[in-house]
Parts: sequence; structure tokens; C-alpha cells
Amino acid sequence: MPETPLDDTLQRLLAYPPEASGESERFVVGVMKRVQRERRRRRIVLATCGSVGALFGLAGASLLAGPVENLFTDVLTPERLMQAALLVAAAAAFHTWLMGDDLPLRG
Amino acid sequence: MLSDAELVARVTGFDDQAAFQVLVERHQAAVRGFLHRLLAGDHGTADDLAQETFLTAYRKLGTLKSGERLVSWLHSIAYRQFLQHLRKHERQRVMAEPPEPGHDPRAAMDAEYLAPRLLAEASPPERACLTLAYAAGMSHAEVSEITGLPVGTVKSHITRGKQKLQNWLERHDHSLSTPTLPKQESHRA
Repeated sequence: MPETPLDDTLQRLLAYPPEASGESERFVVGVMKRVQRERRRRRIVLATCGSVGALFGLAGASLLAGPVENLFTDVLTPERLMQAALLVAAAAAFHTWLMGDDLPLRG
Repeated sequence: MLSDAELVARVTGFDDQAAFQVLVERHQAAVRGFLHRLLAGDHGTADDLAQETFLTAYRKLGTLKSGERLVSWLHSIAYRQFLQHLRKHERQRVMAEPPEPGHDPRAAMDAEYLAPRLLAEASPPERACLTLAYAAGMSHAEVSEITGLPVGTVKSHITRGKQKLQNWLERHDHSLSTPTLPKQESHRA
């Protein structure tokens, strides 16, 4: 609250100017356009980084495929592979049954 | 009507652009008014900085502490934008354009004419403290929170700034007790 004539004068003179019609709408539109540009930029950066990461991953996988195959050829016989697949399927079924409440099984 | 906190939660949680637009619509007048006063009449730059303020707010909305008032937080971003602008344009004085020839300041006891000239007398921190206290109607504690200055420093900036403005008004023969303009409603936070 103003206490002196100076306070009163300053409050009056420094009060924010009334806005011209349409000015605030233009401002809001300008801000939202910049926000959309920002979102687009973020998506481009994410997509670029993701693609580069995926390319490196593919290159690494193809480089390592040979050595890994040699490493497991003796261990993973077709029989064992079948057993492992059965075990994984059984574990998944058990998990689904145990956590049934959290999964949208109906509808 | 949704509160600021609810809108902020929508923006940070779901990247809800419509919610952010409501926040911009709600607070743009206060932020722009503040920057217009700080830049002493340079409306173009003030609007650029205000846009930058909202863009920074959009990027950093997640860092807004719960319980912190959005309007104070926005003002503090705007103030930092202003200080950054000052540092970049250190050599240029931020002040109002000279009056047009033939324009009689006494005849134009106009807030929009006088305010930039008045504020050009004060230093940037004084300008910020005076604007927040008189135009935004904020308390010393709120001004301190926004500017990052201790409350004592805020009080002395306001006292010194007021003294400078009083001297300017007296030098230019403006009576303090004669309100010639209808009182404008200040943008209260």
C-alpha cells in the first residue's frame, strides 16, 4: 500500500501498461511455435542418436556373431536349446499366473 | 479452473502442450510487463526475452520445486534473462529513446512516456526491485527470492532507487501529489 505521495506516484507510473488488443495472443502463439520447434528438435536429436546407436549395435553384433557362435556351438546342442526354450516358457507362464492381478488378461 | 501446480504436473508428466499454453496465457502479462520496465521502454527486446523466459521455463519445468510459486519462478528466469542480455550488450546503455522533437514532457504526464525515462535513472538491480515492489506489488521477501539478493540489499536498492526517481521528478517539475492519470491496475501475482 502506498504510504507517501512518492509511493503513490511510483505505483501509478510504474504500473504495467495495458496491452493492445491481439498483442498477447500473438505473443502466446509465438511462444507455442517455439515450444513446438523445441519438441521437434528434441525428437530429431533422439532419433539421430538412437539410429547411430542402433547402427553401432548392429555393427558390433555382426562383428561378434562369429566368435559367439563358436563359443556356444558345443554347449547349445538342439536338445539343450529345446530344454532352455521350455524352461523359459514355463517360467513366463508361472510369472503370468503369479502376477495375474497386474496383467490385463481380460478384455 | 486448474491451478498452476496442476497445469505444471500435466506439462511435466504428459508433455501436455495445451496446459503449457494456459500457463503462458496466464502469466505472460506479468512477465512481459516486468521486462518492459526493466528494459526501460525497449518493447521489442522485452518481448524477445519474455519468449526466451517461457521457453526456458518449458525446458526446466521439471526442476520447479513443489510449493514454489510459479509466478516468482518465472520472474526469476526473466530477471536472469535480463542480466544475461545486459552482459551481452554491456556497451549499449539500456534506456529509452530520446523524446520526439516538440514533445513537451510536462504536457504528457503519461505513464508510458515517463516510466522508461524514470527507470533509466536507476541501476538494473534498482529497476528490478522497484518494478517488482511497485508494479507487481510483491513483498521484499518475494523480490529477494526472485533477484537472489538479500532482503536488506533489496530494501536499500528500493530506497536508493526511489531517491533517484524523486530527484528526477523534481528536476523535471513533476508534482508528486497531482495524479493526472487514472490509476492503472497493477498486475498482482
